[in-house]
Amino acid sequence: MSGSLCVKVRASPGRTSTLASRTILQLQNPAPEDSHHQTNSTHHKKAFPVLSFNFDHVRKPFEISLWILLALLMKLGFHIIPRVSHVVPESCLLIVVGLLVGGIIKAFDEDAPVQMLDSKFFFLYLLPPIILDAGYFLPMRPFTENLGTILVFAVVGTLWNAFFIGLTMYGVCQIEAVKLGRVDLLSCLLFGSIVSAVDPVAVLAVFEEIHINELLHILVFGESLLNDAVTVVLYHLFTEFSHKGTVTVADAFLGVVSFFVVSLGGILIGAIYGIIGAFTSRFTSHSRVIEPLFVFLYSYMAYLSAEVFHLSGIMSLIACGVVMRPYVEANISHKSYTTIKYFLKMWSSVSETLIFIFLGVSTVAQPHPWNWTFVVVTVVVCFVSRVLGVVSLTYIINKFRIVKLTKKDQFIVAYGGLRGAIAFSLGFLLPDNEMKQLFLTAIITVIFYTVFVQGMTIRPLVELLAVKKKKESKGSINEEIHTQFLDHLLTGIEDICGHYGHHHWKDKLNRFNKAYVKKWLITGERSTEPQLISFYNKMEMKQAMMLVESGSAAKLPTIMTPVSMQNIQPKEPLKRRAIPSISKSREQEIRKMLRGNLQKTRQRLRSYSRHDLMVDPFEEDVSEVRLRKQRVEMERRVSSNSAANKQSQPWISKQQLGKDNNIP
Amino acid sequence: MGSRASTLLREEEIEEIKKETGFSHSQITRLYSRFTSLDKGENGTLSREDFQRIPELAINPLGDRIINAFFPEGEDQVNFRGFMRTLAHFRPIEDNEKNKNSSASEPLNSRTNKLLFAFRLYDLDRDDKISRDELLQVLRMMVGVNISDEQLGSIADRTIQEADTNGDNSISFNEFIKVPPVDGEQDY
Repeated sequence: MSGSLCVKVRASPGRTSTLASRTILQLQNPAPEDSHHQTNSTHHKKAFPVLSFNFDHVRKPFEISLWILLALLMKLGFHIIPRVSHVVPESCLLIVVGLLVGGIIKAFDEDAPVQMLDSKFFFLYLLPPIILDAGYFLPMRPFTENLGTILVFAVVGTLWNAFFIGLTMYGVCQIEAVKLGRVDLLSCLLFGSIVSAVDPVAVLAVFEEIHINELLHILVFGESLLNDAVTVVLYHLFTEFSHKGTVTVADAFLGVVSFFVVSLGGILIGAIYGIIGAFTSRFTSHSRVIEPLFVFLYSYMAYLSAEVFHLSGIMSLIACGVVMRPYVEANISHKSYTTIKYFLKMWSSVSETLIFIFLGVSTVAQPHPWNWTFVVVTVVVCFVSRVLGVVSLTYIINKFRIVKLTKKDQFIVAYGGLRGAIAFSLGFLLPDNEMKQLFLTAIITVIFYTVFVQGMTIRPLVELLAVKKKKESKGSINEEIHTQFLDHLLTGIEDICGHYGHHHWKDKLNRFNKAYVKKWLITGERSTEPQLISFYNKMEMKQAMMLVESGSAAKLPTIMTPVSMQNIQPKEPLKRRAIPSISKSREQEIRKMLRGNLQKTRQRLRSYSRHDLMVDPFEEDVSEVRLRKQRVEMERRVSSNSAANKQSQPWISKQQLGKDNNIP
Repeated sequence: MGSRASTLLREEEIEEIKKETGFSHSQITRLYSRFTSLDKGENGTLSREDFQRIPELAINPLGDRIINAFFPEGEDQVNFRGFMRTLAHFRPIEDNEKNKNSSASEPLNSRTNKLLFAFRLYDLDRDDKISRDELLQVLRMMVGVNISDEQLGSIADRTIQEADTNGDNSISFNEFIKVPPVDGEQDY
């Protein structure tokens, strides 16, 4: 009887369910498993575990953190070994580390890391911080001045590269000896379009260390950013076509149209998010702590929204950062500005490091069908097509440029066309066919070649060719005035000639900006502040901070006065009565004592609030120093002008506390 | 009809202007048509009012000074030659010129001459120095009316401080040249 009541036990994972089913089995088939039953129930009645081991629970975040930690430790390590880091760019070292780690993991035969550089992770998490960092801090002046050149390189250059490489590889594959006759034209063109794009991550990583002059840097870097639209369009185009099998003229035409849609649409989305972000920052004066988040989130949303529609996410991200920046910076506090700057740098640094390490790891984890001809020809053809493209485009561009590109410049531009992780990830996304692994191998080889060979040799070549290095410009007020002066001058001349050139449109844009846009997007009186004044304020602040940090603040005589200082002190400038003058050193002593002691008590009494930033003693020093400096200058001016006696009297007497109203 | 014909440009004149300023034939003819379109009085010269009629120039902060730069000392009219001579400062440098030997006198549109032109816009009293007052005036024009004199004064002081190397509290032309404009000076 007992036997017929067997309950079918489903084979299932997990201890609890088998235990349950076994227990059910017990209840219905009591006899044979009694001893078993005993042990089971004693198993239940074990003592309460004080210490237990449960790794699965935290597995994913643990691994991620471990990877990031490894990446950062490597980064630290390279700088402790000075000799190596001088010769070899950091990106190469990171790839090597990735190779090593990949090799180690492979030896243990795990396949988890390969999924790490899977395209989704790369495109959604690793790439945006780098692009945002680049876009937010894009130097606008050189970028807009060279925009035409950059666009020509990005669009025409990439198209040329893609087709040249694709067609040449197709031709090579047709040769009987290579035994690759199965590769059809569209696959080759797809391959060409993936491998032709200059990669912003790699360019940034290498160019940052060689400090070449701004023009070349912005040309190569700008090209690497803007060619994303072309890459996206070509990639989707050829993928679609290889599904359909045939190409008609209408398709080609639609391809061209889609290019415009992709790039302009991306920019539009970015600009919209940028404006919304700028508008939001107008109201954040009461919650300064969350200000940086708005910048990050709006930009990220711009990227994601563009990706939804298969538009160019990179261009959207850059447009957002560029549009947002001038208005947001006018609105946010100084601390938020620093936060944004450092967070962006931090994230992009981590991302970059991770990307290179994973590149190395993924290389090891893949099977690599090696076809000498294909791979070597790819590398050679990439280089050749880049050189040809750059030289011929420069020839055409130089007819329209005023500052021509010399042969040296052309060489650097051609040599700096590095491929990187974007090409690899795009290759990863290819549909799984027999060619995919071969293509991936070729792509990886090209990437390695450009990053290692070209990356390592570009620095000595720059030295050898005596290419102009970046000028260490300290951003003086003089330069700013000079630049603005010249802008106005050249605009005027252009207007007289009736020539609607570069300056004319820039001027129109600036006027539009001042008249309409600034009013909406910038809080309070800062909206009417001329650029020169905000620049000047920024510089004064910087200098004051430097003085405080170097501890020489005490050397300045202490005189007080109110001068506007919006971003440091949200509250009103301290109102102090005019005190009878005592000896300056005595005064300093008293101040120091008072400040030191008073602040301690004040801080203890203030309640902790997560939502407000407390005023920092450091910052008070900064404002203090600024005040003092201004007064020193004023004093000096007074004494030197008293002889000239032109305007000394009137504005000294204006030094009342209430004067602040006139100062924006 | 009659007065217009007398102001049409003759070939010899074009050649002379070409030699003096370095503009090409087509550039000269284009600028001539611009000159005539500005010249409402049709007398072959431009007066200050003709310039002021250009709308964008009216809102340019340096508009007045630029206009003044066209008119030689004390005169109120400028003819086409004078017009071209001033504009020649801003002609783009051609490639073939870079190879000319430097024994020839410096062309009008060399960097130094351009900067000299800009310098003269600051330096109204032509004493070859930009004093603090002259700087203040230019700053005031560029910055508008909302800024107090004090702030402007401290900016001017700081500017002079940065640029002044011989300590005379004003900026001479040599000091002016040393201020490097931002990289990528396309339109020079």
